[in-house]
Amino acid sequence: MSRFVWSKEFELGIDIIDHQHQRIVDYINQIYDISLKAQGTCGSVEVTDADTADLKAVLASLVDYTLSHLAFEEALMEEAEYPELSEHQLVHRQFSELIGSLKARFDQGEEVSQRLASVLQHWLIEHIMTEDKRYAELVKHKLLGIEPDKHRHWVQQALSRHFQ
Amino acid sequence: MSLQWSSDLEIGIPVIDSQHQRIVEYINGVELAHQHHSQKELLVVLDELVDYTLSHFEFEESLIEEAGYPFTKAHKKVHALFTRRVQGYQQRAKAGEDVTEELTHTLKTWLVNHIKHDDRDYTGVVKDNMNEATKRVKAKSGSWMSRLFG
Ligand SMILES: [Fe+2]
Ligand SMILES: [Fe+2]
Ligand SMILES: [Fe+2]
Repeated sequence: MSRFVWSKEFELGIDIIDHQHQRIVDYINQIYDISLKAQGTCGSVEVTDADTADLKAVLASLVDYTLSHLAFEEALMEEAEYPELSEHQLVHRQFSELIGSLKARFDQGEEVSQRLASVLQHWLIEHIMTEDKRYAELVKHKLLGIEPDKHRHWVQQALSRHFQ
Repeated sequence: MSLQWSSDLEIGIPVIDSQHQRIVEYINGVELAHQHHSQKELLVVLDELVDYTLSHFEFEESLIEEAGYPFTKAHKKVHALFTRRVQGYQQRAKAGEDVTEELTHTLKTWLVNHIKHDDRDYTGVVKDNMNEATKRVKAKSGSWMSRLFG
């Protein structure tokens, strides 16, 4: 795996959600950085107590922040009366259980940080690009009053009127 | 390590900033109680922290609701989730468990993240709403003044 580089294509166009996703990416990168540092240059893994403490703290923050983000997202979908809310919630719950169990295993002394970082990285990006993208239009429309499609339509009409 | 209040924690709404600053002081108080090895002091500060935070949340929620912030419900849900978590720690502390390290870490990271990201997101809407209200009041008192003294 490599460091996760955030790019515009991952944005949903809902600022607060985009910021939350980026914050989660930050945490995943921190896990990656710490485990990379621990791996050292010659391939031997040497996890110092300081690294372990750092990882523990980052993991705790990541779990907290992710749970908060998922709840935030679910509230948005609920308010926008998103029809696929329960399916989305199910996916969120599975993810919460996954990170919860990875954290628990780490707390018990298992070496899971690398795996954790890569699992999270894949899950997050997949989820944003598929399931999250699906709710974005509805939330923007119902909560923010943005109607991108109609607007585009209107612009097109205006343009075609002008340039016929 | 205690959490230092700094300008990068300000969202630019003075009444909210001072409430956040107060919460930071309570969090540091929790840590201090831990250093004093005083379970009694810890429980008292924890009670104060929870009380104050709850009333701050209530204040903030009515502020953003009134301003028509579009993510009010989601913001409230995040507050509720956090409250439940802290109350869980509070119960464990009351039962005699030493939760301070985990608790203060949670409190600090949560608050900093929440202020910098979630709270900052409503600033524009709330400020606009406040400016509008001030304008209305000024317009009213303006006409009243001119009637009286004009
Ligand atoms: Fe998401
Ligand atoms: Fe999601
Ligand atoms: Fe808040």
